[in-house]
Amino acid sequence: MHLKYESQLREPLVYGNKTYAQVTEDIVRPIEAKPSRLWYIGFFIAVTLLMFGAYSVYREVTYGIGEWNLNKTIGWGWDITNFVWWVGIGHAGTLISAVLLLFRQGWRTGVNRAAEAMTIFAVMCAGQFPIFHMGRVWMAFFVMPYPNSRGPLWVNFNSPLLWDVFAISTYFTVSLLFWYSGLLPDFATVRDRAFTKLRKKLYGIASFGWTGSTKHWQRHESLSLVLAGLSTPLVLSVHTIVSFDFATSVIPGWHTTIFPPYFVAGAIFSGFAMVQTLLLIVRKVFGLTDYITIGHIDLMNKVIVLTGSIVGIAYLTELFMGWYSQNKYEGYTFWYSRAYLFSPYGWSYWGMMACNVLSPQIFWSKKMRRNVFVTFFMSIIVNIGMWFERFVIIVTSLYRDYLPSSWSVYYSPSIWEIGFYAGTFGLFFTCFFLFAKYFPVIAIAEIKYVLKRSGESYKPGFDAIETQPLDKFVHDHAHAH
Amino acid sequence: MEQNKNWQSFGELNKSAAYNQEVNNEFKEELPFVEDHSGFLQTKAPRRDFLKYLGFSTAAAAVAASCEMPIKKAIPFANKPEDIVPGIADYYATTYVQDGDVISVVAKVRDGRPIKLEGNTLSPITGGGTSARVQAAVLDLYDTARLRFPTIAGKEATFEAVDKAVAAELSGNIVIVTSTITSPTTKEVVAKFLAKYPGSKHVTYDAVSFTGMLLANEASYGKRVIPSYHFEKAKAIVSLSADFLGTWLSPVEFARQYAIGKRIDEKNPAMSKHIHFETVASMTGSNADEKYLCRPSEMGAIANALLTAVKGGEVIGVDAKLKAGVEAAAKALLANKGTALVVAGSNNKDIQTVVNAINDAIGANGTTIDFATTLNYRQGIDSDFASLVDDMNAGKVNGILFHGANPVYSWPAADKVKAGLAKVKTKISFSSKVDETAAVCNYVIPDHHFLESWGDAEAITGHISFIQPTIAPLFKTRAFQDSLLLWSGDATVYTNYVKNYWSAKLGGEAGWNKTLQDGVLNPATPVTAAAPAINASAVTAAVAAVSAMKASTKIELALYEKVGIGAGQGASNPWLQELPDPVTRATWDNYIIISPAMAKTLLNIDLSNAGQADAYEVHPPKQVVKLTVEGKSIELPVLIIPGTHPQTVGIAVGYGRAESLGKAVIGSGKNAFPLACMNNGTVQFSCADVTLTPTGATYPVALTQTHFRYDTTQGNRTEVMKELTLAEYKHDPKEIIKERASEYRGQMMGGDKMSDEQVLENFAKDATIYPVYDRPGIKWGMSVDLNACNGCGACVVACNAENNVSIVGKPEVLRGHEMHWLRIDKYFSGDMENPKVVFQPLMCQHCDNAPCENVCPVAATNHSSEGLNQMTYNRCIGTRYCANNCPFKVRRFNWADYTGADSFPDNQEGIVNDVVMNMNDDLTRMVLNPDVTVRSRGVIEKCSFCVQRLQAAKLDAKKDARPMIDSDIKVACQQSCPTNAIMFGNANDKHSAITKVRVDNPNRSFYVLEQLHVLPNVTYLAKVRNADEAEHVEKAEAKTEKKEA
Repeated sequence: MHLKYESQLREPLVYGNKTYAQVTEDIVRPIEAKPSRLWYIGFFIAVTLLMFGAYSVYREVTYGIGEWNLNKTIGWGWDITNFVWWVGIGHAGTLISAVLLLFRQGWRTGVNRAAEAMTIFAVMCAGQFPIFHMGRVWMAFFVMPYPNSRGPLWVNFNSPLLWDVFAISTYFTVSLLFWYSGLLPDFATVRDRAFTKLRKKLYGIASFGWTGSTKHWQRHESLSLVLAGLSTPLVLSVHTIVSFDFATSVIPGWHTTIFPPYFVAGAIFSGFAMVQTLLLIVRKVFGLTDYITIGHIDLMNKVIVLTGSIVGIAYLTELFMGWYSQNKYEGYTFWYSRAYLFSPYGWSYWGMMACNVLSPQIFWSKKMRRNVFVTFFMSIIVNIGMWFERFVIIVTSLYRDYLPSSWSVYYSPSIWEIGFYAGTFGLFFTCFFLFAKYFPVIAIAEIKYVLKRSGESYKPGFDAIETQPLDKFVHDHAHAH
Repeated sequence: MEQNKNWQSFGELNKSAAYNQEVNNEFKEELPFVEDHSGFLQTKAPRRDFLKYLGFSTAAAAVAASCEMPIKKAIPFANKPEDIVPGIADYYATTYVQDGDVISVVAKVRDGRPIKLEGNTLSPITGGGTSARVQAAVLDLYDTARLRFPTIAGKEATFEAVDKAVAAELSGNIVIVTSTITSPTTKEVVAKFLAKYPGSKHVTYDAVSFTGMLLANEASYGKRVIPSYHFEKAKAIVSLSADFLGTWLSPVEFARQYAIGKRIDEKNPAMSKHIHFETVASMTGSNADEKYLCRPSEMGAIANALLTAVKGGEVIGVDAKLKAGVEAAAKALLANKGTALVVAGSNNKDIQTVVNAINDAIGANGTTIDFATTLNYRQGIDSDFASLVDDMNAGKVNGILFHGANPVYSWPAADKVKAGLAKVKTKISFSSKVDETAAVCNYVIPDHHFLESWGDAEAITGHISFIQPTIAPLFKTRAFQDSLLLWSGDATVYTNYVKNYWSAKLGGEAGWNKTLQDGVLNPATPVTAAAPAINASAVTAAVAAVSAMKASTKIELALYEKVGIGAGQGASNPWLQELPDPVTRATWDNYIIISPAMAKTLLNIDLSNAGQADAYEVHPPKQVVKLTVEGKSIELPVLIIPGTHPQTVGIAVGYGRAESLGKAVIGSGKNAFPLACMNNGTVQFSCADVTLTPTGATYPVALTQTHFRYDTTQGNRTEVMKELTLAEYKHDPKEIIKERASEYRGQMMGGDKMSDEQVLENFAKDATIYPVYDRPGIKWGMSVDLNACNGCGACVVACNAENNVSIVGKPEVLRGHEMHWLRIDKYFSGDMENPKVVFQPLMCQHCDNAPCENVCPVAATNHSSEGLNQMTYNRCIGTRYCANNCPFKVRRFNWADYTGADSFPDNQEGIVNDVVMNMNDDLTRMVLNPDVTVRSRGVIEKCSFCVQRLQAAKLDAKKDARPMIDSDIKVACQQSCPTNAIMFGNANDKHSAITKVRVDNPNRSFYVLEQLHVLPNVTYLAKVRNADEAEHVEKAEAKTEKKEA
């Protein structure tokens, strides 16, 4: 199946003179070592944020949504903004693992594990918002279509919010399975190296009795492919359905057909940015620069500039249609409520434009793409921009819709609204710190898979096919099997 | 048979003693405790008792352990009171009386407690209409701030103790100060008391008095009375700043009359013309066909000029803009001689005399003004009270009794009143709460609430309205009249006094009972009086006096009353405090109203600049300005209200009340009464030479509506509000139809080939790809006539009362959390300095294709087969998606536990406002309508079209085995409306009023945001304004010419 040869022109995916044992050693070492001081500090901050978030949610559940500054006109604000933002971030993982797997992109191996973990944590964070934005969260189970004793009472299958329930839960389940099945061989590796009984027992359970037999590997490969096949449409569907929350409504600024592709592109955009943010830290802190290479960063920056530009085109298309359609409501929403800098929320629109459309354009320069600091800075900027995008879509559409009598006063979040958002950061990083400590952050098995083909020390061992005479290449190829 | 009996042993066969013993012994074997057996059963606690004790003690311990459990007592009707059927409402005709205001009402009493006031349709004065304050009055009954017992020097006392002490103190020279008394029996009682104590007198004190008018009428016609007005007969109405639809004299009556003239018969369109001169934007001015802005000090000049003009003279003494106004007014008045009317809000005797002369000149007397039937709502003369204050300060008063009057709060020179009162030995207040005056009285003997009282009221001569109690007094209160009767040595109880008085006049007890049941006694035939002759010399003197008034060139101040708060009576009522002011849309505060022009110079805010206007509108904190007049100053936030004279500012009175009046008054505005000026002993609610200085501070004002330009570069938005002038309408009656068709023709397949009417007709089915369903059976529909609606807000408060709509308090309104199911939107159009204003009541539109319904994930909101968009509270999980997707933004979310209905304990303290906590008090909660669910936190609610009333009406019809008809049902907003602007009924019934309205008004009907294809069930009838005809006809013609060219 796999080409044994890779062009010498391609950058190696693994740097250094690595053996299989060395790869294992490099990646498992942080798991077996004591966590660093930095880890403790980070973990403490994350847990603190999580606690603050938990208290914010406690207040909101106990005292009501009035703890937030939403109002009769703006029914959704930071809550759904954050929801969409986190879901968007949760896109990169599956894209990297599933779509790139199907397209046989070898470079995914260095980043897929962490990206998938990020996806799962991001979706967990995202899920908090639609759950806790409910006025009566204790009745949240009403959204489940289960047989009940309330007569013919059933959920409303017309509602995009219900589609969300299905879309997100499916996405989460499949992503989790995919991630976990990939972890099995690596858990087995950790188990086999374990030096305490407890560790052996726990990783033993976690690895589901993986022995590394050929049959196991064969099934593992098949499962990966099946799950990749399942996840690929999900990458497109989840954010499409999230965009339906808006696109199927009647509110000017929401009611547009452009949303599904625009949301998916934006999701990949923000997802890759978040992957960059995390991996740049991980590769530094855990000394994994050989595995997560500048080449990886370069490639992901290309995805960022591509999707950023798609999103930019979407913004411009919206503006154009706001004018071209001669629809008064859209015209007002796009040209006044958003694009007019001195309107109450004009700043958020131009913040979005600056972060998402203008600034990623520097990645047309290879030098910038391969600059770790620029990349890190940009990854933050992009996620700020994408947060603005969701805020712009939700708040600037709602606050001045059809009936001018109900146009809203200025909305800014309360401390508990911010606290909830901060809490999801806490949740995310708590999970991520635990992941980084106890899980192999790079897929060991998969790195080994590409090591002898794309590793820096192995590549020169191949004959350079480019320099072979054509006859020899054809002959070799014909007799390859 | 005996022989055949089978036997098993000889013992059985022989029935031996041993055998018998064995058979009767339950336990064959020897029981181990057989020796104790007999004793066991005789012990004090045998087994069963032991189990009982065990069970009881366990239960008792469990109950005792769970000491947090609130104990709720449900007392069964062991002895059911006669006439009370649980769950069935009783209705009693009674009368709302407050400080001279009188409205006949019917109180709805559920299980012994009045919960809602409805207008009494038998009253020809109101025709069943009410006002916001009437609707809110029922809440005052359950006010926790009411005094619960009489007090002596602030300490609880018994009636006996008070009577004894008062009897000892009262001698001669007593003054009874009351607000206007309209009750004939009370007047007799007062007279009795005065007779008992020689040297005593009765002073009528009205916080906002009509002294000027009373004295002018005395000077002009020799009678110190206020005539009745007939706006319904007037084809031309000129108002010199009289807020006759909102607060002036008898607004419910006038609104009803006014609406008659404003309604349009589409086939034969004609309507009255109302020209308004005003200083500060008011509700009445907003409804006018033409409005001219002037300073308060110019009012006299305008009156003089108008008098000259109607007599055919040249208009002089006013500037060019006002000259045009006066000429237009004179033209309208003269064109409708005999059916014209001029009213003035001024409290200046001379101006009112000039107005009398104008009315005389245009033949209003005897037609639109009737001196034979007088309005008795206001009888107070300011100078009477002014001289009383002097008497008090001179120590000439021994005792003083206050009923209704509250001069310590509302008299401009309140300090003088206080100083004078300090010199009066005996001060008695009959206030039901410790108001500002009661606070300085020795004795407070709280009066009943009118819903606990007996009484009568003759607000208009010949029209008697009766008061009967609907509930036993809640507290130790006593009727004011009872106290007076007792103290004047009359043993009669006031209840019997009223009964005897009227029984004698009505032909015995049967007649009395019948009348009491009706609640009103109307004169058999309306008395028509010939026009009295006007005193010409008085007019000449008045004209000279008015000419001598100097016009100011500096900033002027106009004080005004708000429809809800009045002169402060409504300030302690949360329903009224949270009722947005019709013009400013502000709640819970008073403020300084300034014009956009002044905003530019004073605050540096230019409303024509989009960014600045936005910044001003979307941020609730408003700049605070210090206003100084005659050495008195007040610091209040400023609201910029178009339609205000550039050099005039306005402040509402009635705010800044004493904290003892209840939670609602705390932090609510400042008292503006001290700013009023005195002129020859008469209070003038306007002052010249005001200085304004911005303080640099800000203060948040809870506005329920923001304003910003609505038209876009893509064209003007016309879908929400449709208005046109009468001339335009006459020129092209189909204008609205054209506009509607143009809004959505493009959305329909083949729409471009259809006529306008076809577009309208086929829109429902052709603008969608989905099938359209038949809607047989009942289909509820509503229609609101924007020509009749004047924005008074009675419906808003009625909805509050009927549907248990939560009050959320100022902090929550500031955050856009108000819960009103029905609101009155206000829109400006035209010139920013002097715009046209339209009011639009907006409630759930019950869309047939409702966007809220399909987005709810749990189907908590859905459509009934009768066309109702219904809300299932206990299914709602509170995603608020429906509220987001509602184009009308009528859905309301329970942001916090406003009602105490939530199952989470302790979740209100520190979260909801004190006022809201107070609304959850056991006493206040007695006002709740048991037919309507009290919503808990976290669910969406909205207008249900009063579904509880619809169900009741259907049930009644069903019980009678007949089809339901219009008269079975009136929804709360419709019932309360003084102008019948709201129509409701079954739109599938060919004979219903709603069908008739829609069929009769095809040219004016429209649906709000119709082009969205949400298919609302509420029709609005476009506002037609009788603006300058010539101009508009010319314009319209010019338009057609252009089109032709």
